[in-house]
Amino acid sequence: MEHSLILYHNNQQIFTSDEHWLYPLFEVESFLKHSTIPVGELFLKDKIAGKAAAALIVRLGIRTCHIDLLSERAIPFFEQHGVKFTFNQKVDHIQCRTEDLITDKMSMEDTYLFLRKRAGKVQGTTLKINSLKISIAGKPILENLDLELGRGEQLIIQGENGSGKTTLLRAILGLIKSDQGSILIGEELVGSAAWLKNRVQTGYLNQDTIKNNFPITASEVVAIGVSGIKISKGERDYRVELCMRKTGCFHLQNQLFNQLSGGEKQRVSLARCLCQNARLLLLDEPTSYLDDNGKDELAALLYELSRNEAPTMLLVSHDSIWADKLKWPRKTLKNGKL
Amino acid sequence: MAQKNAEKRKIMIELFSYTPVMKGFIVLILTGFAFPITGVYLLRMNLLPLRFMLMHGAILGGALSLAMEVNPFAGTLVINLLLVLLMTRMSRTLKTDPGQLSAFFMVVSISLAFIFIYKFQVPAKDTLSLMWGSLYTLNEFEFVGTLVFSAMLILFQALFRHQLRAVFFDADIARTSGVNESGFYYAIILITAVTVAAAMKLIGALLLDALLLLPALIASYHAKSYRGMVLWSSFWGGLFATVGFLLSLVLELPASSTIAIFASCVFFVLIITHKK
Repeated sequence: MEHSLILYHNNQQIFTSDEHWLYPLFEVESFLKHSTIPVGELFLKDKIAGKAAAALIVRLGIRTCHIDLLSERAIPFFEQHGVKFTFNQKVDHIQCRTEDLITDKMSMEDTYLFLRKRAGKVQGTTLKINSLKISIAGKPILENLDLELGRGEQLIIQGENGSGKTTLLRAILGLIKSDQGSILIGEELVGSAAWLKNRVQTGYLNQDTIKNNFPITASEVVAIGVSGIKISKGERDYRVELCMRKTGCFHLQNQLFNQLSGGEKQRVSLARCLCQNARLLLLDEPTSYLDDNGKDELAALLYELSRNEAPTMLLVSHDSIWADKLKWPRKTLKNGKL
Repeated sequence: MAQKNAEKRKIMIELFSYTPVMKGFIVLILTGFAFPITGVYLLRMNLLPLRFMLMHGAILGGALSLAMEVNPFAGTLVINLLLVLLMTRMSRTLKTDPGQLSAFFMVVSISLAFIFIYKFQVPAKDTLSLMWGSLYTLNEFEFVGTLVFSAMLILFQALFRHQLRAVFFDADIARTSGVNESGFYYAIILITAVTVAAAMKLIGALLLDALLLLPALIASYHAKSYRGMVLWSSFWGGLFATVGFLLSLVLELPASSTIAIFASCVFFVLIITHKK
């Protein structure tokens, strides 16, 4: 059987894939992470390539390729980035919805992230809320609220104080019972046994963490992310260090959490969520108690997260100026509805 | 002078040859290291009102036991366990503040205790002995039971330190990190009930804070982590129990009061130093 993708170095096959769509190229990406061969010396042979595959080939750093069936729309990508290509057959476009969804306005990085999300190669999971109704002490807070977020998507929910933003997050976390409606995280219904077993997939950054005065070091806070699972000490230490490095707070590991600045505390808290492998991240007014520097730091960190691990993120904030910096889609919660 | 000291040493060694003194010493040392762990839990979970309820519950248990002529230690233990179960159940179903319920049960317990004392003509002196404990009158059940419980408490802390740290840091975050937060809450309440019952027997209702809370409070002044807080409070508790006990023998004072006075002095000195 002929492979769908072959990678050569000095005319020697060094990698093959029999997967379909863009998956062979994502496999190449994983392979190259552990390879010491300079990418510029590789030759790639692929069966079909449209705009999406071309974007991935360019991002991988491949300089020479042969495509059996090439879409006309892929050519500008190759030419623009100096990729030498040959082909057997050229067509106007290939029958692939992904190719239609990539617009000219998208940067290379945006395209790459879009493709990762589409391929399910992001940490994020889906969130689906149907007709959610919640009352507290007889007062309706949320009424027939619907919301849907795809893998790795981000959303900011804004609204006045008391509009129910925190209630919504607490309901998603399963900390408040709903009167009606359903919340699905991935395939799991919040409140079900399956959800309870996999509860760690939802990370939570609450406002109160900033004010917490418990004597605990930054690395101990991050380790809380794995306190609900059985894990060896070595694995725990490794995960804590990795996540603290990812969020740029490893140098704070031995400092007391309550003595850190607001921005540093949020970095540590995000590291905690990464440590628990949160696939859905809920952020409740994360800029409360932060100065301008802290806010800028947090915005940069969330941007990095959305580009790398890309968990699905739902953020509630009434800080419109700061929310503008994130450039995430927004919805307003008013009268219990979005 | 040297002769006097040698005589005192001889008396001390002689005292330790008495089984009740030795038993009391062993139990006090182990509980001195173990019970401050409960103090850390109480402080962190803001369960101080619960402690008052349990102290009053223990008096009710003691009075009831004396009236029914059963072991007062077992009686206080049973009443305290019943009270915490009732309080947590009601707090959950009625969605009422546990602090308010603790105050309610505290008043009910002490009222019932006095009714039992009056109706069953329990000697007030016997009941009031619960106030200052009776370290040297431990029977086999109390001796073994307290040792086993202390060992279990240390084991509980060692095995579940990561989960406990998460619960004490933030209950919501602990839950979303997959920790069974409500399970740990109930476990801590039950542990508190048993600790208070045992500490009352050892050093009495009015002085049990010397073993329970003061070590944890002192540790909170200088501990730099949760681990440090647990270890330091254990260290201070062990130190208070050991030094207080030995001082009581040397000075011929009641052990419970000497421990409490010694702990209070250390606490006072540390407060002053801390402020400087």
